Amino acid sequence: MSWKKVCATSDIPKNECRKLWVEGVPVLAVNYGEGFRVMPPVCPHMEEPLDESGIVANCILTCTKHLWAWDLRTLAMEGSETEKPLKTYDVKEEDGIVYAFIENEILYEFEDEDEMDDESFFSN
Amino acid sequence: MKIKLQTKSGEFAFDGDASESFLFAGLAAGISLPYECATGTCGTCRARVMEGTAEVVWDEAPGFAKLKRDKGDILMCQSRPGSDCVLRVPSNMTQTDDVSGVPCWREAKITTAKQLTRDVIHFDLELSRPMTFKAGQFTVVETGDVRGGRAYSMVNFEENTGKLSFVVKRKPGGGFSEWLFSNDVVGHELRLFGPLGNATFGPEDDKDLLCITGGSGIAGIMSILERARGMGYFQKHKGWVFFGVRTLADGFYIKELADHVEQAGGNLEVTLALSDETPATEVHPDFPQIKLAGGFVHEATSRLMAGRYSDNLLGYLAGPPPMVDGAIRLLLTEARLAPNSIRYDKFA
Repeated sequence: MSWKKVCATSDIPKNECRKLWVEGVPVLAVNYGEGFRVMPPVCPHMEEPLDESGIVANCILTCTKHLWAWDLRTLAMEGSETEKPLKTYDVKEEDGIVYAFIENEILYEFEDEDEMDDESFFSN
Repeated sequence: MKIKLQTKSGEFAFDGDASESFLFAGLAAGISLPYECATGTCGTCRARVMEGTAEVVWDEAPGFAKLKRDKGDILMCQSRPGSDCVLRVPSNMTQTDDVSGVPCWREAKITTAKQLTRDVIHFDLELSRPMTFKAGQFTVVETGDVRGGRAYSMVNFEENTGKLSFVVKRKPGGGFSEWLFSNDVVGHELRLFGPLGNATFGPEDDKDLLCITGGSGIAGIMSILERARGMGYFQKHKGWVFFGVRTLADGFYIKELADHVEQAGGNLEVTLALSDETPATEVHPDFPQIKLAGGFVHEATSRLMAGRYSDNLLGYLAGPPPMVDGAIRLLLTEARLAPNSIRYDKFA
C-alpha cells in the first residue's frame, strides 16, 4: 500500500496550505474547508512555490503570480487565465489524519518533455 | 521574410522584418500573439524557433531566465527574424482581417511636459495619426536617445484621439525617466507601438469598481475614471480608488480625482494612502473630496473597506509588484473576488 500519512486535519487551518515532506516527497497540503488536497508544491504555470504564491478562498486555489486558479472540490480550471490542470494525489481522511496515495512523486513537465516537444502539441 | 507560426489553434503566417520584433510584427498583422509586458520581463511571449534564425535584441532581458535558450526558445518581444522562420507558440490565437484597430507604430511629438512632484512627470504627445484604445491600455514608447522600449499606460481616454497623456516616475538610473527629467523634451519626437494590454475597462463591464494603485500606476486608473465619467457609469455603480504614495506632497492628479468624485455624485470614493507619514487630517487639506489614510495602500484598503465590499465587484490593480501581490491577496480573501474579476498587467 502506498497510502502515506501527510498531516493531522487539525494541523492546517481552513483556507491555508502548507509545504510538507512525505517520505522525501515535497507536497503542498491544502485545507479548503470542505476537505483536503495534496499536490506537488509548485504552480503548473511557471513553477511558482504555491506555499508562498497560493491563496485559498471559497474553495478556489489561486496562484497570485498570474491568477491561474482551480476549484479544489472538482479540480476544474477557474478564470480566464488558467491553461493547465492541477495534478493531485488521491487523498483520504481517517481518524483526523490526512493520507495521500503517493507511489511516485508527481512532477509537471517543465523540463525535457514540455509541451514544445510534445507530439500532442497540436492535438487539442 | 516569411514567418510561420505553429500554434495550438493551427498555423498562421505573417511578413517579418529584420528591424521589427516577432511580437510587434505579428500583432500588427492582426494575430493575437500571447504577451503581457511586451518589454522583455514577464516571459509570456515565449516561442521556440523550429527553423530559421532569430536575432536577440536585448540579451539581458529578465524574461529569458524563464526560457530554455539551448532549445531555441526566444521572447518574441525581444527577438527579430534573421531569415524565414518557423516558430512554435504554445497558445491559442486568432487572426483578424480588420487591421484598423490592431496595434502598430505611430510617430509622436511631445507637446507638453510638466513635473507634478519631486519625482513624477506628466507629458502629452501629439500622434502622427489618431489611435483608438480601451481605458487601461498601454503603449511601448521609444526614443532615439534611449535604447529599448518602455511601457506606459495612457492617462487620458478619448475615442480616436490624436493626443495621448502619460505619467512617469523618475527611477535613478532608469534611462527613459532620467532622459525625461534631464532634458527640455517638448518638441522631441518619439515613436510608440500600441495599443496593448488586456486589463481594460469598457461599457460591457457592469460592475462596481475597486481600484488599488501606487505611484505612476494611477495612469491607467485615470483613464478608466475618464471612461466611466464619459458614460455616466457612476450613476449606476459604485467606485472606490485607493492611491498609494509616500507623503502628502507626493500625491498628484489630486484635483482631477476630486473632480471625478464631484461628478460621481456620491458614488465614487477616492482615498490617498500615505506610506511614509501619518496624515494630519482625515481629508486632503486642499481637496476635501479626497480622503486620507496612513499605511501601505493595500493595508489602507483592507482597513477602510472591511465590511463594505459589494458582491458585484471588479478589481483593477496597478503598481509595484509587492503592492500588486498584496492587493491580489486582499481581493481574493477579504473581498472574496473570483480570479477572473481581478485585472492587472502582469509585468513581473
